[in-house]
Amino acid sequence: MKFHRSVFQSVLALAAVALLAGTSAGHAQQQDKSKPLKKYESGTKEFWTHPPDDWFLGDETEAQKGLAPPSGPPTGASDAELASIVKKIKLPPGFKIEVYASGVLAARQMAWGDKGTLFVGSFGLGNVYAIKDNNGKKEVKTVLKGLNMPTGLAFKDGALYVIAVDKLIRYDNAEANLDNLGQGKVVYDDMPSYAAHGWKYIAVDKEGWFFLPFGPPFNIGIPPTSVSQIRRVDPKTGNAEIWALGVRNSVGGDVDPRTGKLWFTENARDWISDDLPSDKLNMINRIGEHFGYPYCHQGNLPDDKFAMGHKCSEFTPPVLNLGAHVAPLGMKFYTGDQFPAEYKNNILIAEHGSWNRHKYQGARIVRVIVGPDGKNPKQEIFASGWLEGDQGYLGRPNDIILAKDGSILVADDWAGAIYRISYSKK
Amino acid sequence: MRTVRFGILSATLLFVPAQAADNAAIKEKAAVCSGCHGENGISQTENIPSLAGQPDQFLQWQLVFFRAGSRKNEQMQPIVEEMTNEDIRNFGAYFSSLTSPKGAEDGDPDLSKKGAQVAAGRRCASCHTDSYAGTKAVARLAGQREEYLVKALHDYKAGQRVGGGVAAMADVAYHMSDEEITAVSHYLANLK
Repeated sequence: MKFHRSVFQSVLALAAVALLAGTSAGHAQQQDKSKPLKKYESGTKEFWTHPPDDWFLGDETEAQKGLAPPSGPPTGASDAELASIVKKIKLPPGFKIEVYASGVLAARQMAWGDKGTLFVGSFGLGNVYAIKDNNGKKEVKTVLKGLNMPTGLAFKDGALYVIAVDKLIRYDNAEANLDNLGQGKVVYDDMPSYAAHGWKYIAVDKEGWFFLPFGPPFNIGIPPTSVSQIRRVDPKTGNAEIWALGVRNSVGGDVDPRTGKLWFTENARDWISDDLPSDKLNMINRIGEHFGYPYCHQGNLPDDKFAMGHKCSEFTPPVLNLGAHVAPLGMKFYTGDQFPAEYKNNILIAEHGSWNRHKYQGARIVRVIVGPDGKNPKQEIFASGWLEGDQGYLGRPNDIILAKDGSILVADDWAGAIYRISYSKK
Repeated sequence: MRTVRFGILSATLLFVPAQAADNAAIKEKAAVCSGCHGENGISQTENIPSLAGQPDQFLQWQLVFFRAGSRKNEQMQPIVEEMTNEDIRNFGAYFSSLTSPKGAEDGDPDLSKKGAQVAAGRRCASCHTDSYAGTKAVARLAGQREEYLVKALHDYKAGQRVGGGVAAMADVAYHMSDEEITAVSHYLANLK
């Protein structure tokens, strides 16, 4: 119940901030106005190989100077540290968290093989892991090395698919070849090669096509026309279509089991203020919808510089504003039978947490209760406790996957671990 | 001075024997490093960086990158392949605790002045901190060997080295001219 109240309070606080948007955000944005409109020349090949060097810094105000991405423990958390971390995680009654596997450094998106192998991507290290269960003991094996930010994975028809910035690579018959997956086959590569917001996530739809996000290589600007979008790609043929526009940095999504529509998380622009704008949960109703970036944020906040005459009403609003700088990444519809019945088809979102907010927020799992139409969403905190002090992390959840028994697994790229959260009535 | 230090040392020996033993063990292991990186982590060898006083996390990350193969170096690779996570933590703790090298007498203050402007223009201090002592995963630049800084920036510029997860160094260095690299390296190497 405490969870409900604190979320309610923060929603109220957010609403109050939103009411003040005309004043507080206005002030924050006015500082930008004295500078010329940021412009990038994307018409050259060089832009795509070497994006602007001020892509994540450069828009900050004087008060925001010194806020840089935090870096976790390079070798992850030790087993002793993990044992103490899981004790600090708060869950609703009846739920339990334990360490599923450790030493999974920089762990990102997870995918199940048909024979029970858990594949895990990673961020900067270039590794893909395979985790096997040997009579309860988890064996973590690095099965691919040296890839370019292989954050996104999928498993389909016996093949492991890895998205490494500008290459979608297929490794056939993967579970039988864990000792040597080989070079794989690139099945789609019509993608820019920059790393900035170039790391990706894979959501597979009912027809077996992959939804892939294309972030712009900077905080805010007029995006080159082939990015700030979500594409739908057929891994069999390499055919692709542009499915959504006006999307900033999305690294998480899932297909609604009820409707087949893609829902996705989106990280909002930086450097307006600690409380604006909110990160979003979106749903795509129709092909070609525009979600507002860079013109409009959180469904109701026109960008002071980049709105360029557009109104927020021109764009698809978010299903839900999740809060500022919470960094929602991987998400899943809960389709299992282990959790209480009211969790069925709820959305669980892993929030990675802030890097440039003075007091971090996020680093938790939220539960969103919403129908297939996206109307009247409610959110509450499901799992929290990875934050320590104003700018400290014990861990950073970034992806969720359901296990066969209806429990969920959570990837943490800070502690280099996979957790298991399960429910039992007693 | 000497007695004070001795007093602390014996207290450590008395109350934290395990840690003292670890320190001795890591010192022994670090002897391998001193062949190239110098006694006490201060390099006397061209194109080999000093490690003394580098931030703990930065040192650990580089070892993890070498081990994963995302940072490539023929000398380092066989050494790090044998390292456990615990070794990496211990090396980070050990070299970060050593006194960092001091910049030499600046033989070309005009070049340093130019280098300071480059550093300001490229916003180096945003991550490397105002004193360029580095922090967490970000390297100390102050007092590093000048020709090594030039080499590192060229490695980033050429895409041979990527840096941390967000690739900031590769993006920054790519846009730097050779003149800028020369000047900023001189400035940083001579910082006191």
